[in-house]
Amino acid sequence: MFEKILIANRGEIAVRIMRTCKRMGIGTVAVYSDADSRGLHRQMADEAVHIGGAPAGESYLNVENIISASLSTGCGAVHPGYGFLSENSHFARAVKAAGLVFIGPPAEAISLMGDKIASKELAVKAGVPVIPGHVEALTDVEEALSLAGSIGYPVLLKPAAGGGGKGMRIVREPDEMETALAASRQETRKAFGDKRIFMERYIEGTRHVEIQIIADAFGNVVYLGERECSIQRRYQKIIEESPSPAVGPELRERMGKAACKLARKAGYVNAGTVEFVLEATGRFYFIEMNTRLQVEHPVTEMITGQDLVELQLRIAAGEKLPFDQAGVVFNGCAIEARICAEDATKGFIPSTGMITRYAEPRGKSIRVDSGVDTGSKIGVYYDSMLAKVISHGPNREAARIGLVEALNGYHIEGVATNIDFANSVICHPAFAQGDLDTSFIEHHFDNHRPLSPPDERNLKLSSLAAVLIYHVRTMAVRESIKPMASRIGAGKTTTETHRYFVRSEEDEYEVLLEKGSMGRLWTIHVNEDKMVVETPDFEFFRRRLKLKVDGRIHRFRLRVERSFFWIAFCGPARLFEVYSPKEWALLKYMPRRDESPPSNELQCPMPGLVVDVPVRKGDRIFRGQNLVVLESMKMESGVASPVDGVVADVLVTIGQAVEAGEILIRFLTQGDK
Amino acid sequence: MDVQYNSTLETLERLRAESIVAGGERKIEAQHRKGKLTARERIDLLLDDGTFEEFDMLKTGRGGALGVRQIYPGDGVITGHGSIDGREVFVFSQDFTVVGGSLGEAHSQKICKTMDLAVRVGAPIIGLNDSGGARIQEGVDALAAYGEIFHRNVRASGVVPQISCVMGPCAGGAVYSPSITDFVFMVQESSYMFVTGPSVVKTVTHQEITSEELGGAGVHAKKSGVAHFTAPNDILCLREIRRLISYLPSNNRQRSPILDLRDPANRIDPALDYLVPENPNQTYDMSVLIFSILDGAEFMEVQSDFARNVICGFGRLGGQTVGLVANQPAVLAGALDTDASFKAGRFVRFCDAFNIPLIALVDVPGFMPGPDQEHGGIIRHGAKLLYAFTEATVPRMSVIVRKAYGGAYLVMNSKHIHCDVNYAWPTAEIAVMGSKGAAEVIHRKEIQAAQDPEAVLNEKMADYRRTFLNPFLAAKRGYIDDVIFPRDTRHRLIRTLQVLEGKVAKGPERKHGNIPL
Repeated sequence: MFEKILIANRGEIAVRIMRTCKRMGIGTVAVYSDADSRGLHRQMADEAVHIGGAPAGESYLNVENIISASLSTGCGAVHPGYGFLSENSHFARAVKAAGLVFIGPPAEAISLMGDKIASKELAVKAGVPVIPGHVEALTDVEEALSLAGSIGYPVLLKPAAGGGGKGMRIVREPDEMETALAASRQETRKAFGDKRIFMERYIEGTRHVEIQIIADAFGNVVYLGERECSIQRRYQKIIEESPSPAVGPELRERMGKAACKLARKAGYVNAGTVEFVLEATGRFYFIEMNTRLQVEHPVTEMITGQDLVELQLRIAAGEKLPFDQAGVVFNGCAIEARICAEDATKGFIPSTGMITRYAEPRGKSIRVDSGVDTGSKIGVYYDSMLAKVISHGPNREAARIGLVEALNGYHIEGVATNIDFANSVICHPAFAQGDLDTSFIEHHFDNHRPLSPPDERNLKLSSLAAVLIYHVRTMAVRESIKPMASRIGAGKTTTETHRYFVRSEEDEYEVLLEKGSMGRLWTIHVNEDKMVVETPDFEFFRRRLKLKVDGRIHRFRLRVERSFFWIAFCGPARLFEVYSPKEWALLKYMPRRDESPPSNELQCPMPGLVVDVPVRKGDRIFRGQNLVVLESMKMESGVASPVDGVVADVLVTIGQAVEAGEILIRFLTQGDK
Repeated sequence: MDVQYNSTLETLERLRAESIVAGGERKIEAQHRKGKLTARERIDLLLDDGTFEEFDMLKTGRGGALGVRQIYPGDGVITGHGSIDGREVFVFSQDFTVVGGSLGEAHSQKICKTMDLAVRVGAPIIGLNDSGGARIQEGVDALAAYGEIFHRNVRASGVVPQISCVMGPCAGGAVYSPSITDFVFMVQESSYMFVTGPSVVKTVTHQEITSEELGGAGVHAKKSGVAHFTAPNDILCLREIRRLISYLPSNNRQRSPILDLRDPANRIDPALDYLVPENPNQTYDMSVLIFSILDGAEFMEVQSDFARNVICGFGRLGGQTVGLVANQPAVLAGALDTDASFKAGRFVRFCDAFNIPLIALVDVPGFMPGPDQEHGGIIRHGAKLLYAFTEATVPRMSVIVRKAYGGAYLVMNSKHIHCDVNYAWPTAEIAVMGSKGAAEVIHRKEIQAAQDPEAVLNEKMADYRRTFLNPFLAAKRGYIDDVIFPRDTRHRLIRTLQVLEGKVAKGPERKHGNIPL
């Protein structure tokens, strides 16, 4: 076994790899860029080497610096993690050429599977079903149109290189082909320096199911079951689980065997993942093979009890797989949620800043793989994923409820995250029923909000939490005033029942508090529902609240927003306005104002770099049209117009760095003269 | 039963009913339609249930000097006292439904009576303003009436907290009562304050301007600094007043209440060790530090939209109310300009007057340069802040977070103007100026003569940074009491507050100092 390895990655995956290394007694060397000099992965490692500037091209993609760091620290091997150089065959070769071991498949297998056209051909040869499509790179629009005609719409334009949804376009009508192809090419060229695009039939209403395989250098290939990753937003996976609710033992075996066959055919060694689309009919098609550890590998680890990183290390060190297919045992169900620094309430734009408060959920069957801690700075340079939360349970529902509770208690302040969005996904009735497909988010959500109304009971619990905090705090203030209040006539009795009203958006509740004699027990009525609530000591600094309601523990995240409470619980994260009865009676006279920003300007939603401004002064523009394209955290995203109107002024230029809140464009709208 | 007595009771009931209906149902409806509550509804929300004791309900005016002599029950203002969270306060609430809440002799006398009693018993005064202005029908009596209020505002200043809440019009001379008081609240879109209204502006300057643009809550919160707090509606505005009051003592002889929010005094925050960026030209948000150290992350910011380069407000440390003055490096690099100096100066004086300990969080690169600032009187205004801090006798603490350069360093509650305890973070840079300016001044000739001036400049800057831009030189001299770990800031401040609790400081005998107003 290696004495010391270098981990050519950052964030949660670097930390996760180190954890296994530490357990196995293997020394770890981290590499870090200027932006990560205080990164958690750097602190966790036994040694750390600075490898360059903040942009990934200067650091985490800098092959030369990474190899010289490995050599200078005396490492025997390099683990690439995922992303960055993990699927770069040139890097794998360079590692080998430097006399080091690359912890991953042979370079040939990487380049073979990394080319989507070549891998598809290989799959056909291995007898693995593939999606109907064209296996040559497209030459021009005419060819694309005629091919699309024969394959049948909708079709998917897909770059030959890369992954992560970059450069992909769905084309539903011949009219869209020209723009889609151009956009896809441009994005592909920018991202991967390759402009080969191919086309396949776009299959709708399918599930994304992938098989984890592991192979040693002695020809043993084993599958470790499947993972379902159908819950995606813009091709980015959000929720992953194993086993898939759609896969039974027989189908698992068929898919697993197909994956192993392909791996053997490719001469594959080490851990890899074969991705399939699964139709409702049970038919499955090969999409691609990922020649690395996947982000979502923990769900497989949770149900198989295997440590995939350990297996990777052992195989890379020349050991045999310690078990065969019969030795793979599945236990229960695991679900994972990816936690990203993105503001779901603002169209999922990346959010940056310092994590000012951080508390992970804990529990016997909860695992958190995180790359951040209090004080971590989230910049614009790298992927926005901060951590993953994985819940394990004896069955899917137990795992799901465990994850809901874990997310309720996952407390991150300083940067906006998708925690509540992820929670509304897994709290959605369709998810609970296992009724998934890759357009789940599109079908069930409008931006970050589910189309179906939130669970009434959960809103009531949030209202109750808001009222309790408000009430207890009010009592604390009264207590603080006592020394300065008159004691004359202070002996009057106080009532033990308190009435409040709560408004949250359009929902209204009447809450009646009755304090029990024990001090911590309350009887609370929310509208007609009676609940018995046990409260902890109220610690106002925590901004998390744990309440035992009718014997069940619930966790809330909350913060005071001026006079109101923002509460996040089981998905919905909203403002709860608590009123006394006399305030409530007069509330009808108070105007409800539209707090939305003025509609005649386009505000910059996030810090970033302007990469394109496709409109000019005087252009007629429409609501939803992208007026400025920003680059932040490797992602290009358009800033859409909030209105129909005419561009009055463009205030930014390409290449300019912009801050959140900066005005990018001014409009003339109907109201203006 | 005595018939005579019975009818007196009836008379009282009738008079009370008249006073309560005041302007009548139609006017009340009109008030509601404007999104405003009535004077009585406001008092009812402001005070604890059933605690309002009204004075002068039956008082009326003499009816003015013009034409039909009209008298109004209560004369357009409701006055009295009641409790907020159990503490007695005095309140007057102008009733727009009665002759537009206009102020006449009797109206003023009612207000003055409550103010006099408030000062005598040492209780805060809260004025809810909603008035069309002076009652013209009363002539000079109305002006005299204002004068009496101004006089009492000034006499009460620094004795009991005075809070004004503008919930409707407040124009002409009337604006000067709120502006003398300690804090002005304004309700968004239903209140305005100006000395001369849009119609006069139009006649004199030919400018078309709306009341909202001229003197709405937004303008006074952002531009003029007249409003200390704004709220979206009456209900929330009154709630904010209750919140402000909870931080304050009732008078200048009391200490503020101690509110236990169950936030441990020794809570450390590792995030603070990472707050100041490694790159000295990068900015960060000072409010992260503020929210981190304060109990329950609760902070009541004063003038939050005005002169945002300095943050002022109330919070609690270990339950004790403190007044925080912090430079905000995220706005104008945290430099002090005229507005910021004025804002912080007035805030410091309020805290000093009411025994509220002061804490400065310092990251100041200097005073704002430029002709606008110099000609706008940055010398005069900066002197106000210097004066205010120097004069303050309450417990005074400072934490130098990063930059503390030149005169601005001295002004920001430095040890040299007798701050009690001065801490610095390891990231502190206490010096006469930043590295570039200093290197250029000290080594001008050498840099000019060099083959590669930029390289020499960089080298000299690095030298300067090493030598001066740290807290250690100041610590050696004892100008800094300790260099502390950022994560421990809360705990160190609370310990210091504990020891400073017994501070006694008295200035020399004098009528009053002459602050450069």
